[in-house]
Amino acid sequence: MYFDDGNDANEEHKNYPFENEHSKGRQKKAISGSSYDRGRANISGTGLPDYLENNVIRFVYLLRSAGIQIGSSEVIDALHALQLIPLTNKEYFKATLKATLIKKASDQELFARYFVLFFASPETRKEFQEARREKLIEHRARMEEAEKVLSFRGERMDLSETDKIVYAYMPAKEQKRLQDFLAMNESRETLEQDYRPFLETIVKGRLGFWHKQLGREIEEELNQPDVGDEGLNAIRDAAAGAGRGGSNILTEDMQNIARKDLPRATAIIRKMTRLLVYRISRRYRYSKNRRKLDLRSTIRCSIQYGGTPFLLKYKSRRRKKPQLLLLCDVSGSMIRYTNFVLQFIYGLNTVVKRIESFVFSEGLERITPYFQQGKNFDSTIESIIKESKQWGGGTSLDRAIKSLFNSCAEELNRNTIVIIVSDTRTVRHRNAIKEVQRLRDEVKEIIWLNTLPQGDWDKYSSVQAFQKIAAMFPCNTLTDLEQVLGRKLFFDG
Amino acid sequence: MHLTLKDLRKGFENVGYICDEETILTVYLSLVLEKPILIEGPPGVGKTEMGKVLSQIFDTELIRLQCYEGLDENKALYEWNYQKQLLKIQINRDNAETNELENDLFSPEYLLERPLLKAIQSPRKVVLLVDEIDKSDDEFEAFLFELLSDFQVSVPELGTIRANHIPIVVLTSNSERELSDGLKRRCIFLYLDFPGIEREVEIIRAKVPQAGENLTKEIAKAVNLIRQNAEIRKKPSIAETLDWTRALVSLNKDRLQSSTIELTLNLLLKNRADQRVFHEQIGAKALRENSRAGISR
Repeated sequence: MYFDDGNDANEEHKNYPFENEHSKGRQKKAISGSSYDRGRANISGTGLPDYLENNVIRFVYLLRSAGIQIGSSEVIDALHALQLIPLTNKEYFKATLKATLIKKASDQELFARYFVLFFASPETRKEFQEARREKLIEHRARMEEAEKVLSFRGERMDLSETDKIVYAYMPAKEQKRLQDFLAMNESRETLEQDYRPFLETIVKGRLGFWHKQLGREIEEELNQPDVGDEGLNAIRDAAAGAGRGGSNILTEDMQNIARKDLPRATAIIRKMTRLLVYRISRRYRYSKNRRKLDLRSTIRCSIQYGGTPFLLKYKSRRRKKPQLLLLCDVSGSMIRYTNFVLQFIYGLNTVVKRIESFVFSEGLERITPYFQQGKNFDSTIESIIKESKQWGGGTSLDRAIKSLFNSCAEELNRNTIVIIVSDTRTVRHRNAIKEVQRLRDEVKEIIWLNTLPQGDWDKYSSVQAFQKIAAMFPCNTLTDLEQVLGRKLFFDG
Repeated sequence: MHLTLKDLRKGFENVGYICDEETILTVYLSLVLEKPILIEGPPGVGKTEMGKVLSQIFDTELIRLQCYEGLDENKALYEWNYQKQLLKIQINRDNAETNELENDLFSPEYLLERPLLKAIQSPRKVVLLVDEIDKSDDEFEAFLFELLSDFQVSVPELGTIRANHIPIVVLTSNSERELSDGLKRRCIFLYLDFPGIEREVEIIRAKVPQAGENLTKEIAKAVNLIRQNAEIRKKPSIAETLDWTRALVSLNKDRLQSSTIELTLNLLLKNRADQRVFHEQIGAKALRENSRAGISR
């Protein structure tokens, strides 16, 4: 097998763009004890120059650290493929890595971003490293300051690393307030013995509040995995910087998605809705009930008895597609998620014909007919919001389910899957639990998409109670919604 | 196989499949590395066409396996010809040796080849198109693993059958469900999206050369504009663009006109909801104006 790219234009690409320090004879710093070593061990003998192999593996390591799944066999494929292309052509090089390493369309954007940064010119990479160094120095200084300040009578307070990071990134005014508070208490002369833990609790409470307030701003500081290689860390920092500015809507709490990102979020929600429906509504092939004689299998089996149909084989009837019933909470506490809920309802209704949709807050309203008019999103939603009385009310799930039983009991059977979109916060939650249990007994399954961030679930007793009855999945970010698709949603009972 | 990128590019040109360099390179890699190519993308961008085109380029047979919910090994790989086996049993009821009969019954003569086995046993390299793999069940996908990684299948009565020639395998998916990592790992991945205006102009020129230059450009722009509307659920495919072009050519049109757009819209948008969105949000007149912008009279 030989290669001839047949493209005369390649002469223009003689400036080999991927050389770096490794190609100049300097040794790569080992990333010991990591999957880097294992990956390296697997690919000897590809015939590519060592520095190129190193670069590709470091690049893969970087992509993995960014959450893209790449197996060793894919790395080997990539290295084999690279032998078949002219390495002087950057576009070919990029396309080859993309085709062999990236197997999800949604990862392509991330790949492109990292590719540009990783295979940047040495000068640019130096800039990244410089920026990283400065950032680390600043971070260290802030943390030292935090440790110094967050102490009481010369002793460090018992605070977590997260608390310290929150303090370090709080607004200066708030830092000052906390300092003043501590200084004031320090100067008090008579203090009970257990005053110190009490003070720590207050400080932790304050920092916890600011943790929530700062949200995404410090997320990066808190969840910064050390890739183990300063060069890669620098690129990760640069990539995080490039990704800032709202482009990472997948991990954003859906209530915070900016208006300008809405069309993209909408497109993603629709796509995921389609996938979700497809997963839920797949028929299950065989049932255990014997119904109809399967002539073909019977004849096949009869061959071992000389053609006598000694054992009868039965064909099982294909199970019907489940009936979907959607219950969406549109009460006051959910109002910030309205956009998501609406897109979700609309998305589900446009992909599945047999779906009953309801919205609820203090009462229950059937909104299925609005979708049967074939109108577009805006006019459908406009008429629902205009005519419905449920928007922004209090939540009374028990009442909603009771009216569901009253108005459409015939829809609730063992073939029905109920999807509830709600944050579980309801009045009379004991009654609600009873009603949800009653609903669970009637239907095949309840899938609960909870808009509360999963980290907060244990703070709400309602979440824990409903979790025992329904299959509950977090649905706070688009990534959550995507992950719901990757799970086994219900058991075929 | 001595294949060069230049040959492949020329092959695509000869059969009139217009695509970008990245697509050609990705296909080239899959051919040379003898790995299946998994093509994802919205409906109507030419995924299935890729299989057909490759069979034309290599002048070989196209074996197609259309996937659907419930597809199993019996329909995809092989089945015994029961009727023929039964007849044989009846004929030889009194006079044949049991062992001989048994060996005879489970010989290739009684085997019904389904697409996968056919592709593997073919005396020459063929193109195996596994279409809409996302519609099949997880179990079937797992079963494909063995075939796609080792190009061999096991038939209990006959043993392992190895491919005479590793087929060119094209898998297509509309991303209706996420495919398993195992399957993806075994493939070279290509995401095909709708072509840009320039590429679509080239496609129309190649497929419907009778269309005038102005009409070609206007159609490409118009279709691109319609596809950009997020509310339109079923975006016009490349085939629909070509149908529309042919329809306009047969109506002797050399430019887009609002009235013609109105009359022929059902060739592009094939459901009522999408047509309503078109009328409410785009409109024939605006489409004509926008697609004519920048094109000389």
